[in-house]
Amino acid sequence: MISLLNVTKYYITNNGKKYILKNITLTIPEKTNIAILGRNGAGKSTFMRMLGKIEYPNQGIIESNKTFSWPLGLSGGFIPNLSGKANVKFVCRLYGKNDTEIKYIINYVKEFSELGDYFEMPIKTYSSGMRGRLGFGLSLAFDFDYMLIDETLSVGDAKFKEKSKLYLMEKIKKCNILLVSHDMKTVKELCDSGIILNEGEMYYFDNVDEAVKEYVKINNLQKG
Amino acid sequence: MKARSPIKIFLAVQKALFIRELSMRITESKTGLFWTFFEPFMQVMIMVLIKLFLFGSAGDTFDFAAFLALNFIAFNLFRNIVMRSINSFIANKNLFIYKQVKPIDTIIARTFVEIYISGIILIVFVTIGVYFDFDLNVQNLPLVTLGFIILIFFAISFSIALAVGNTFYPSISKTVNILMTFLMFGSAVFYTLDMVPMEIRDYLLLNPLTHIIEYIHGNYFYVLDTKYVNFYYISIWIAVNLYLGLRIYRNFEEKIISL
Repeated sequence: MISLLNVTKYYITNNGKKYILKNITLTIPEKTNIAILGRNGAGKSTFMRMLGKIEYPNQGIIESNKTFSWPLGLSGGFIPNLSGKANVKFVCRLYGKNDTEIKYIINYVKEFSELGDYFEMPIKTYSSGMRGRLGFGLSLAFDFDYMLIDETLSVGDAKFKEKSKLYLMEKIKKCNILLVSHDMKTVKELCDSGIILNEGEMYYFDNVDEAVKEYVKINNLQKG
Repeated sequence: MKARSPIKIFLAVQKALFIRELSMRITESKTGLFWTFFEPFMQVMIMVLIKLFLFGSAGDTFDFAAFLALNFIAFNLFRNIVMRSINSFIANKNLFIYKQVKPIDTIIARTFVEIYISGIILIVFVTIGVYFDFDLNVQNLPLVTLGFIILIFFAISFSIALAVGNTFYPSISKTVNILMTFLMFGSAVFYTLDMVPMEIRDYLLLNPLTHIIEYIHGNYFYVLDTKYVNFYYISIWIAVNLYLGLRIYRNFEEKIISL
């Protein structure tokens, strides 16, 4: 269960405050895979970062008794000068894994990410697709109640995308995901429910199809 | 995933950051690594040569080379902790994506790395000293150690507020870097307070680092003493620095994390 209590989040821009969430009180039920929908800049990533406790609301509180992964985005989280392997080790140590567990996770990530020799090379030599693979493989190796996935599924070639989706489907038998994606097909495949973020408001839908329908409606409205 | 106690998380984070910092130091730049170890030897050699030319002898009542080595290790430790800490929030902002890593953890980890490196340099110096028969007898080892611990606390307390400031105004680190050069001359690194005229001595004693370094070499050499050291003055500096630093840090912690 994730509950938001009078949560307000804004950014200060040159044209005054830009609201992401405006006094939102909402409870999101347990054991459901949630899609987060919204246009660019609506605050999807910010919301993820707030759940991951690396960004904080200006007012109100977000509470949950569940564990969240770090927000799995296209950027950040890696140390560019160190190799992929060293980065994996680093995250394992952060989560207090012992040497046998670390060895297992390294092998798992190496196999999953299909990076080959690049796995031993500094992250700064990676393409963004390769970074995405490494990050995604790494997060799959840990067990969280919720995985925060921010667009990561859209990286990589078609074959890898298919593979990630398969692994994720396997993974969500044991845990839940919060997924940001602009690909409605993926959203419908993986998620049960949906959240729409729009101009400081937040709506929760029990049914993902309804959420997508509503989102398309909002999109068309704003276009016209 | 099992919930871990805060102290367990802290230790895991420290271990991860320490190993990371150390491997960064090794892989980052080979010249940087070379200088880290070569710099103190050069500092000592240059000062010994200057003294030889100016006064004709390198030591009268105590071993001047050993004196310099001790002081430079202490001063460099202070300088490196401060300079590394100042940049640590910016340099590590990638890592704040993991909620276990708090900005202040990176200062603590970098401090441990500096202590570790100083330890290695110390061992090298001692080895050289023993080999060439320098007089390395310590008057009071526990108090010298205490002096170093005070020095480390002073360095950390001094760094926190600066690190927060430098995150938003990066010119601070450049200013502090220049300040360090002046501080080296004004901190009893290549002299004892007994050697300087009284009028200057009073000014030098305004600098808390002078007290700490005077305390360290005063307790190391039999012929030196610590009569000018004011513990009360040092404690006030550390307490005020730490209070202000942590206060400022607490106000800005969330902002630094979401940078």
